Amino acid sequence: MKYGGYTGRILRARLDEGDFKTEKLPEDWIRDYIGGDGFAARLLYEEVPGRIDALSPDNKLLIATGPITGTLWPMSGRTVFVSKAALTGIWGESHVGGFLGPELKYAGYDMLVVEGASEKPVYVSIEDDDVQLVDASDLWGMKTNEVSAAITKRHNDPDVQVAAIGPSGEKKVRFSAVMVNSARAAGRTGMGAVLGSKNVKAIAIRGHGAVEVYDHEGFTKLAKDAHKRVGENPQAQEMGKWGTWILTAVKQEIGELPTYNHRTGVFSGWEKLAGDYIRPRYTISDRACFGCSLGCKKVNYVREGPFAGTLEEGPEYEGLMAFGSLLGIDDYPTALKANQICNRYGMDIISAGATIGFAMEAFENGIIDEKDTDGLRLDWGDSETTIRLLEMIAEREGFGDLLAEGSAKAAQRIGKGAEKYAIHVKGMEVSGQDGRTHRSIGLGHATGARGADHLRSLVVVDQLGYEDVASERWGKDKLPEIVDPYTEKYKATAVFETENTYCIRDTLIVCWYSVSWPPIFWIHDFAKMLPLATGVKEFGSVDNLMKIAERQVNLKRLFNAREGISRKDDTLPDRFTKEPMPEGPGKGQVVNLEPMLDDYYRLRGWDLETGLPTQKTIKRFGLEWTSAHS
Amino acid sequence: MYWDSRELDLLTSQLTVDFTKCTGCRICELACTAKHEGKFQPSLARLKIIKYDDLGVDIPNVCGPCETAPCVDVCPVYAMRRNPVSKMTYVDQDKCILCKSCVGACVNGVIQLDTERMRIIKCDHCGGDPECAKVCPTGAIIYGPSHVSEIVDRHGKVASYLKEIRRLAEAQESGGES
Repeated sequence: MKYGGYTGRILRARLDEGDFKTEKLPEDWIRDYIGGDGFAARLLYEEVPGRIDALSPDNKLLIATGPITGTLWPMSGRTVFVSKAALTGIWGESHVGGFLGPELKYAGYDMLVVEGASEKPVYVSIEDDDVQLVDASDLWGMKTNEVSAAITKRHNDPDVQVAAIGPSGEKKVRFSAVMVNSARAAGRTGMGAVLGSKNVKAIAIRGHGAVEVYDHEGFTKLAKDAHKRVGENPQAQEMGKWGTWILTAVKQEIGELPTYNHRTGVFSGWEKLAGDYIRPRYTISDRACFGCSLGCKKVNYVREGPFAGTLEEGPEYEGLMAFGSLLGIDDYPTALKANQICNRYGMDIISAGATIGFAMEAFENGIIDEKDTDGLRLDWGDSETTIRLLEMIAEREGFGDLLAEGSAKAAQRIGKGAEKYAIHVKGMEVSGQDGRTHRSIGLGHATGARGADHLRSLVVVDQLGYEDVASERWGKDKLPEIVDPYTEKYKATAVFETENTYCIRDTLIVCWYSVSWPPIFWIHDFAKMLPLATGVKEFGSVDNLMKIAERQVNLKRLFNAREGISRKDDTLPDRFTKEPMPEGPGKGQVVNLEPMLDDYYRLRGWDLETGLPTQKTIKRFGLEWTSAHS
Repeated sequence: MYWDSRELDLLTSQLTVDFTKCTGCRICELACTAKHEGKFQPSLARLKIIKYDDLGVDIPNVCGPCETAPCVDVCPVYAMRRNPVSKMTYVDQDKCILCKSCVGACVNGVIQLDTERMRIIKCDHCGGDPECAKVCPTGAIIYGPSHVSEIVDRHGKVASYLKEIRRLAEAQESGGES
């Protein structure tokens, strides 16, 4: 390989043929897409035709890494799963921490493509050049932690990295996850169901090779300095101590802690979901993903009460929200138990919680009753019923079978106005933010390629009022409006620039926490590091990186356009646009989406009417080839 | 005091591990191979993080501190030797016959055969300035004169969890807490 950081090989697991194929990584992809998300978008667009069923053998599941995956750069152990999404039928991607991606690189591959479908349950076994499809009949039905343990034992090697699906993935729960290292989830958009539909129970990887960068000395020095910056960054140190639980108090203070299915942003029981309450009572150890000096993962243990004996990693803020405030539950052990069920069965905790929240509100409003729910009374704050219902979803048992379709599809089937309570965008449940008290996330939720997404363009700078960062990034002239969370003005500018930077983050791939609250690293840091890692001098230009990012955003948009997505789908639930925030600092606020959309489309070079890339834009980013694959 | 500092000088430096602080990030493995191999290749790292995902525990295994050195004792050709002053063991590559006896004898499992370049590789404390200790973000690996009292019991972290879990299971069995 001419460039540093890459292995230069793509591995294909061809389930139909029952064999493997190794291909060269096309060199022109590197300059145009860098890696990770970019490579995956390039491959998926070309190879998965439009309008196929996400759960059919025509769909493909990709595991992609970036040029610095497996190196010393801080928080570079992340991996992305990409596929046409089982939950939404549009662009699907899900990033995960843990140790899987680096191991794939050490085994000698930048990407793994799983295609076709196996007749019998198998797992994909990769040990350097020794690649096999192994019979997994004895693993079928196992929970994810059991699968990981069984495969580790079978390979007699503690360093084999396992990505596994649980019973929920097998049963194609629409928001089922792929679990890595038992507790790290590629959660969103239903990657587990895609693997399940292919009869693939797990992917086991072990690599003994090396990742070699272009300028080893220069890169290593820069990476060590970068770790020092993580160590000296006050926010990073706080994150290391509290994990994302630190957010509970912040969100409560600004009135954006989603409560009672996003009805309000204020939760009276928030204190019991806050980091300083949880850590001294439940946390027993701190852990980190590969190459991370921040270490936000917390292992927790419940000593007493109905969930005594629960030992599990997590959940993060989103899980606390989804099985805490969102359902009116002020009990940390319930969230930990729910997280354990989600991890073991393999489900996305955000969509799982939001779908139960939908059911609770529909029940409260008499749209469904005990006849529909197998006799369960769905009341806010009832942790026992919540856990029971979660298990029913995981197993597609009774009423759980309907909810396993996700809130959007479930609401459609129930009818009777239930849609009103399904809080989703493009079929994906809204994460733990609220556009009413944070306008830019309203735009982000509406325009995110995979649906209501908090990881592709969440601007934190405006929300928490970091004026100095904002003025440096977007210009002094846009203050104070750009940091005012209650106005639509300039929000598209903030979302546009942030989304682009996050795109580069997702091509490298590095963790979200290295670019948030105000960031430890931003795009100019990546521009400094990338040429040392790869030897591609053009990566040293921020303008060029921005162009690569825009290309990626456009490519994903074109992927969605092929599935019929346009401006009409870039919406928010009425809850955010029509129901004023009932209380808290943002009382009375609603999102006025349309002007933000106009601004955003203009910046992106998208047609204002259709919301799709114009021919000029397509040409500008060299995406004309896409028209051959419509 | 004069005596204290003199005593310290006479003590050999060792890598000391505080198991409770390790987060399992493996930055040490990366920095180790970055220095010794000129690339990032944890499979050739001179130390090893063992991860217990089921318990949420990570344990670094490093070279030493060993009272006696099994790797030296077992070597049939006296290729593995111990520096009498620093107490560090090292391989004389010219004499090594690659029998892997030391690999099996190492109680920490940190001596390896590099099958590509066919040589035994082991930690040399980076000549007295170990990378792993320098990069460890939590201070789980430290380098300095060894004080036995400061060394956290290797299995202490695991054992305390297991004890708590057992206690709870027994309490449940006896019909106490539910």
